[in-house]
Order: sequence, then C-alpha cells, then structure tokens
Amino acid sequence: MAERPLLLGRRVPIGTALGRVGLALAVAFGGLALGAGYWQVIRSADLSSSPDDAAVIAASRQVLRGVITDRDGKRLAWNARDSSGEPYRVYADPSLSGVIGYSSRTYGNAGLEAAWNAQLSGVASTDPLFDLTRKFRADPSDPEALQTTLVLSLQEAAVKALGDNRGAIVMLDPRSGDVLAMASTPDFDASALANPTTAAATWSSVNADPNLPLLPRATQARYVPGSIFKIVTATAALGSGAITTATSYPQQPAAEKTGLLVDGFRIHDGHHPETDGTALKFDEAVEVSCNEYFALTGLRTGGAALADWAARFGFGQSLPFDLPTAVSQVTNGGGSFGGGFSDEVELANAAYGQGETLVTPLQMALVAAAVANGGVLMTPHLVMSATGRNGTTDVAPSVWRQVMDPNVASEINAAMQLAVNGSLGRKYTFGAQVPGLTVAGKSGTAQLDPGNDPHSWFIGFAPADNPQVAIAVVVEHGGLTTRGSPIAGEMLQAWRAWANG
Amino acid sequence: MTSGVVAARRTLPRIALRPRLRRRELGLLLVVAAALVVGSLSLGATQRTLAAHLNGDTKPVPLLGLANPGLLAIYLGALALAHTVLTVAGRRTDQILLPTVGLLGGISLLLMERLPQTLAGGLGGLAQTQLVWLLLSLGLITTLAVAVRNDAWLRRYKYTWAAVGVGLLALVLVLGHTVNGQRLGIAVGPFTAQPSELLKVILVIFLAGYLSENQPLLVEESTRLGPIRLPPLPYLAPMVAMWAMALGIVVIERDLGAALLFFLVFLLLLYVATARVSYVALGLVAAAVGGFLVYSLLGYVRTRVDIWLNPFADPNGAGYQVVQALHAFARGGLIGTGLGNGLPLIGGNLPIPALHTDFPFAALGEELGLVGILAILGLYLVVIERGLRIAASAPDEFRAILAAGLSLVVGVQAFIILAGNLKLIPLTGITLPFISYGGSSLLANGLVVGLLIALSDRGAELPPPTPRRGNRLRRLVDRGAA
Repeated sequence: MAERPLLLGRRVPIGTALGRVGLALAVAFGGLALGAGYWQVIRSADLSSSPDDAAVIAASRQVLRGVITDRDGKRLAWNARDSSGEPYRVYADPSLSGVIGYSSRTYGNAGLEAAWNAQLSGVASTDPLFDLTRKFRADPSDPEALQTTLVLSLQEAAVKALGDNRGAIVMLDPRSGDVLAMASTPDFDASALANPTTAAATWSSVNADPNLPLLPRATQARYVPGSIFKIVTATAALGSGAITTATSYPQQPAAEKTGLLVDGFRIHDGHHPETDGTALKFDEAVEVSCNEYFALTGLRTGGAALADWAARFGFGQSLPFDLPTAVSQVTNGGGSFGGGFSDEVELANAAYGQGETLVTPLQMALVAAAVANGGVLMTPHLVMSATGRNGTTDVAPSVWRQVMDPNVASEINAAMQLAVNGSLGRKYTFGAQVPGLTVAGKSGTAQLDPGNDPHSWFIGFAPADNPQVAIAVVVEHGGLTTRGSPIAGEMLQAWRAWANG
Repeated sequence: MTSGVVAARRTLPRIALRPRLRRRELGLLLVVAAALVVGSLSLGATQRTLAAHLNGDTKPVPLLGLANPGLLAIYLGALALAHTVLTVAGRRTDQILLPTVGLLGGISLLLMERLPQTLAGGLGGLAQTQLVWLLLSLGLITTLAVAVRNDAWLRRYKYTWAAVGVGLLALVLVLGHTVNGQRLGIAVGPFTAQPSELLKVILVIFLAGYLSENQPLLVEESTRLGPIRLPPLPYLAPMVAMWAMALGIVVIERDLGAALLFFLVFLLLLYVATARVSYVALGLVAAAVGGFLVYSLLGYVRTRVDIWLNPFADPNGAGYQVVQALHAFARGGLIGTGLGNGLPLIGGNLPIPALHTDFPFAALGEELGLVGILAILGLYLVVIERGLRIAASAPDEFRAILAAGLSLVVGVQAFIILAGNLKLIPLTGITLPFISYGGSSLLANGLVVGLLIALSDRGAELPPPTPRRGNRLRRLVDRGAA
C-alpha cells in the first residue's frame, strides 16, 4: 500500500479509472468520427444535390438570366446586381409588365419570364441538339438571350393610349403571327418587384390593388365581345354557305323597331334611322352593326356550324402561344341545342356577341388576323430567336390553320373596310380612321349587366388591301364613350410611324 | 477569476527563473506555424480568385499570398512569446498542450477571417475581435502556467469556490439577458459574458476538493434505503445537488448544453474518485428521469428533441439550422471544398446564421472535409489525453481529480456540441472550445489549459498539509494507509 498511496482502499487504482474514462471519451469521439463519416461520405451525394442545399439555392440565385430584347434589339429585360452580388432583373418599362411579366427571387416568375424560364435561366435550350448533349457538357447551364417579336415603342404607345382605363391591346403581324404589342392596363413596375430592396412593398401593393394589375388581360381576361363577334358569325355563315353577301332578311327593318321575336323572346337593337325600312345586305349590316341581321344569320347558320367555325379561330381551347391563355367560349356549352347552345334565343344573342360568349383580347386579335391574312391564321408567337453559347436558334413563323377560304376572307375584309370608312360605318368606328392608311375593322359595345357601363371593343387590320398589322382593343366599361376605336386609330398611326422607320 | 489572479500574484515572488529548453514544444509549434501558414495561403488564393470572379476580371490572379498576414503574424508571434516565456520560466511542465491549443486557436482565426466580418465583433470585425480574445487567452495560459506553483488556494477554499459558483448562477438570474430564448449571458455595460463558461471551471475545482476529501469514506460506506444499496450520503448529497442544479439550469436558464456538461463531468469525476460503475449508472438513471421530466414539461426542450429526431420534417423552418449544417458536412465530403470555398451565401447571408458560435464545426466540415474533421477530433483527444496523463501522474487525489476534471470539461463540452452538430444528440447552444467565436469561452478554456500546464509541473513543490476539519473516519483511514 505504501508504494501505491493512491489506491487508498479503492478497488482499482486511480490511474486505471482515468484510463477507462479516457477510453470512454475515445469511444465517444470515435462515434463523432463515424457520424461525420456518415454525413460526409454516405449522405454526401444526395444531400448536396438536393434542392434544399444552400449551394444549389445559391447557384440558382447567381444565374444571370438571358437578356430579353425587342425585335429591333432594344433591351426589354436585363440584370443588375444587389449589394451581395446576386443578380436581379431590371425592365425597360412598366408597360411590358403584361407580357414580359417579372422574375423575382421571392415571388417567382410570370409572363414570358415564366414561360421561357428554362431557356432564360439556362436549364433548357431552344436548340434540341444542345439539350440532347447537355449532360455531357462541363458547364451544362447556358442561359439564352431572347429576341422577342415585340416593338418597345408600340408597347409603350399601347399603355399610353389606354391611359387610366383598364383594358388590353394586342397588335400582331397577320402574315407571321409576330406579336408586336401586347398591353394590359393597369401595368405595374416589374423592376420594383424584381429588386430585392423594393420587392416586398411592391408585391403587397400590386396585390392589394382592386384593379388587378397582375392580371395579364390580353391573354387571361375574358370579356363579353359584343358586335366584334359578328366577324366570327360572318365567317361561319359565309364559310358554310348559309348566306351570301347578297342575303337580306325582309323582317329585319321592322324588327329594328319592335324587336325580333325569337322563340317567344324579343331581341331589341338600337334603331338605325339611316337605313330606315331597308332590308340590309351583308356589307351594310356589318357597316351599321345590325344585331337583327346577325341574329337571323346565326339562326340560319345553326348552332353547330357557328361553334365549329368559332373553334377554327381557337375558341374552346388554349391558344398555341408562348403565354398561357384563357379559353374563349361561344357558349357555356352542354345545351341540348346544336353546338352546345341551350336554345335559339342564346344562339341568336351569341351571333351578335352577347349570349354566353366570352373572349380574350388575343383571341379576337387572331380573328382579325385570320381575315386579314386571307383566311390563313398564323401561330401567334412572342419569341423570334434565342441566342445561347452555341449561337442563335430562330423560331420560324408557322401556319396554324386555314380558317376560311380566301374569297370569304376578302368578302369580310370588304365589309370591315366599309365599317370603318363607309359614310354610316365611320359613325360607329369614329377615330379608327388613319389618314393615308386604309383601315378595316369592327367596333363592339359589349352590353353587361344593368348598371355596368359596356366594354368598348375594336378589332381590325391595315392596310386593308395588303394587311400588315392586326389589332384588338378592349377598354373595360369604356363603351358609353366608345373608347376602343380611337385607341385603335392611335395605335395604327403609331404602327405606321414605326413601320416607316 | 479575480481571486485566482490575486492568488497568483501572491506566489510571484517565489518564482525563480531557470531557463530550460522546451524542444518538443518548439518542434510542435513549428509544425503548427507551418500548418497555419499553409492554411492562410490556401485561404488567400481562394479569396483572391473569388473576388476576381465577382468583379468579372478575366486576367489570371496571383495565387501566392497569405489571407491576412497581419493577423497571422500577430497570432504566431503570440505563440512564440508564450513559448519563450515558458522556456525562460523553466518549469518542467507539459509541452504538448500549448501547440495543440495553439493549432485549434489558429484554425479558429482562419475560420473567422473567412467568415463575413460583419457577423459579430466590435474591434474592427470578426477576425480581429477573435484575435484579441485569442491573445488574452494565450496570455492567461502563459501566466497561469508560469505563476501557479501552489494549489492551496484551489484546494483549501472549495466551499468558497462553490459559493462563487452559486453567486455566478444567481448573477445570471438577476442580470441575465436572453439570447435565442436562452438566458446565457450577463450584460454589464457594453460587455456581455457567459458565466457558465467560468462556472464549469469553478465546478471542477469544487468537485476535486470535495471528492478527494471524502474519497476514502465513499469507497467503503454505503447508504441503505430498504433493500437498495445507495452511495454513501457524502456522494448521494452532491449527486442530488448536481442533479437539481442541472435541472435548475435547464428550467431557469434554458441552457441545456451547460446542464448536460456539468452533470456528465460530475459523473465522470465521481467514477474517477470511486471507480464505482454503479454510481455512474445511478447518475445516468437520474439523468434519464430528469431528461424525461424536462422533455415532458418544457416546450423548448421538446422542440429541440423533435428537431433532433426529424429535422427534415421542417427543413425551412424549425429544422433549418440543423439541416443546413448537415448539408454543409455533406458538401464537404471527404476532402472538403478548401478554406474559403464553401458556405455559399444566399442573399449575402451565411446558410447557417449562428455559424461562428454554434456551428463552426459544420463550416470546418465543409471546407476541410472529413479529413480535417478527423484531425480536429484528434486535437481534442490530445487535450483529453494530456489532461488525463497529468491526472494519472499527479502526486495526490486532489490534483488527479482536478486535472482530470479540467481536461474532461473541455473534452465533454467539445463532444456535446460536435455531437449536436452531427445530429447524434439534440443540438445545444454551447461553444466549441478554442474554435467558437467569443471571449467567455476562450478565456475560460485558457484558464483550464493554463491550470493544466501548471499542474503538470513534475518539479512542483508538494502541497502543504490539508487542514483537517474533524473528520474522524478520514483520519482513521489515513492512519491505516500510512
């Protein structure tokens, strides 16, 4: 005991106890090493490639999205960097918000930024060959710059023309389907939404705005069309052979005064004193926008044929377009009457654009474009070309459909010219005329529930003999002052200024 | 700490300088310096490359250069100074601890240089502030290693130390301010301190005194409670007291980590003193009961445990830090991303907000990889091994338990936070010794290492005879042993 003073009645000497404690700690640290090995070796691959991984998130936030330009190369969207060096989007003008949308770190993407997100952020390519070989590349990310079909000056002019009104304008080239302008008002400051320092305040203010600035009205809003739908009815009637341009209805003049009795229901139309007592032919009916004439034409054409011909323009389906579109409808559908109409009254009303008919501005621009392009409807599109690391891939114009025969198109074209330039027609389309440019078109005043001012519409194209631009304008509740036609005229002047360079 | 300094001053006149070369320490310090220079070169090259990349420079970047030569030079200079002072003082003390702790501190300095400087620190940024604390810690180590030649002031006044400890706890209650739901720190003017760091040292000093004094009795006696054989009252009482204190810390200060540390260190020292596994088992049962109680009664404990069990259930909410730490380990893989090349910033923010205090190990795991992690674990094992070795060669029970306790308090604390980082146990908010940012932790651990080095003095004079306080049994046993 004297040699081992520290034993002092212990079972084991203190050194042994210390050794065991040391061993326990060594085992515990061995456990730490195993734990580290588990996370750093066994779970390394799956954790570090998960979308929750900070490196994956940081990399996605570091991507410099492709620059978006207009058709003349003017920048519409580009990148700036915040104080931490991360890029964010800057947009040329708020007027673009309804079509380009926004790309925000916090609030995601909308508009073209969302639709072409894969190409803009570099995870998909417009060039199919590049996509096939992507996984073999050292740097698989290749953000593409997009050249759009838009014209920045026309886009700005469209929003300026709509002013304080809610509404939308779609302007496109009927020969190619190139969308030249696609405006929705009220617009919003997409740059402020993308800038991280102003994003939150902007987001809450645009969401609180009762005028719904985030709604891209040109593609997503559905409106009662009113008389502009007569162009669809005309196409169906002339195309199916139900009427010719010489067709007239003897009961039509009287019906203007007393209302047209359809199935026990009286369809009224404002009386046209200028044509008092005359049974109108097709051209004249278009010129003075005679509801009774088109109600009778709709009944003669039949619900099934009207619905079929409307479907040729794109009704009843999402349009083949870069942005998602709301589906335009001729009727609610499901009715026992032909084409899904519930009865003759609904068909007769729908034939002049009331009834249960709802349309998007883009859909009505396509109606005008099909007539303008001799019945051939080009696929509407927003992107002309995409430029990545391996060069530029063009998006070629493509024919979507032959909606009608060329001769039907030219008959309707002639009637629409009369509606803008005829001595009677110009009263209904006041302001759509452009000196030195033959405009063809059709105005519309969409009657809504009592108490709501009607929507004001105009669809048309120019030059009428060689159409190069088609347009649809809608001004919400702008009907009493018929705002649609003068805005269209203003836009066509702006187009001519741009086209003449 | 104040009384420690006073006591040290009282011993100063007795220091006789007989310079003695410390070859092993010098050699190891040279290795440490080389390792830190290589680390700084690596960090420097990475930082320059990243900066050039951010500025869009395409010109080749000069890669050779230290990250922050000034800070590194000051730190290495301080290590050299500490070595010189120890050499001049000439005591035959441990030569491994200083280089080991020096390397851990150097790794901490590199990590703090590499993190965003605005994270914390009033003295011109994170790294500079951490360097100041490191220097103070090295100064404390050196002072204690040179000046503490007599442990009477430690062993004699154990109840005074206990009173100081209780006073510290009370201070936290009165002056405590709440950080992240934990009442960890006290604030005096602009300074905040975490008393639990100092408390752990005081606790070890008290336990060493108490356990060594009552040791002979404890081994033989036991208390009977009906058929159950319990430890003798002198052990049972502190065990119950420790258990109650740990629970109190959990309930009142919400400091799960400190409670766990104190109780584990107590159990280990109890085993060192008695070599009775049954006491430790009893303590573990008590800990399990206490753990179950706090889990059932305290919402924050339940949250911690639930996050631990399944952090991926809410990876962007409650489990965010834990999950991101695991991702950081995973990104590091076997060899790491390299210093300065990991920790992707999201919106200019680190992926783990409390990285510099609670998760430095995750950062090191990412940038140094599993290889670096194993090396760091090895460094802590070296500290533990040195402490236990000093304990084993101590001339008496008090010194043995004190040295063991001092090394265990570092080793167990490292284990608790590292295991929490690696999701082996629930995460607690205690610091990683010598690596985490913060003055309280660095000073308290400097105190530990300084005392350990002093205790390792093989040429130390024998302690004066312990004053007896009428423990008749003890006297009997002593006489029998003699």
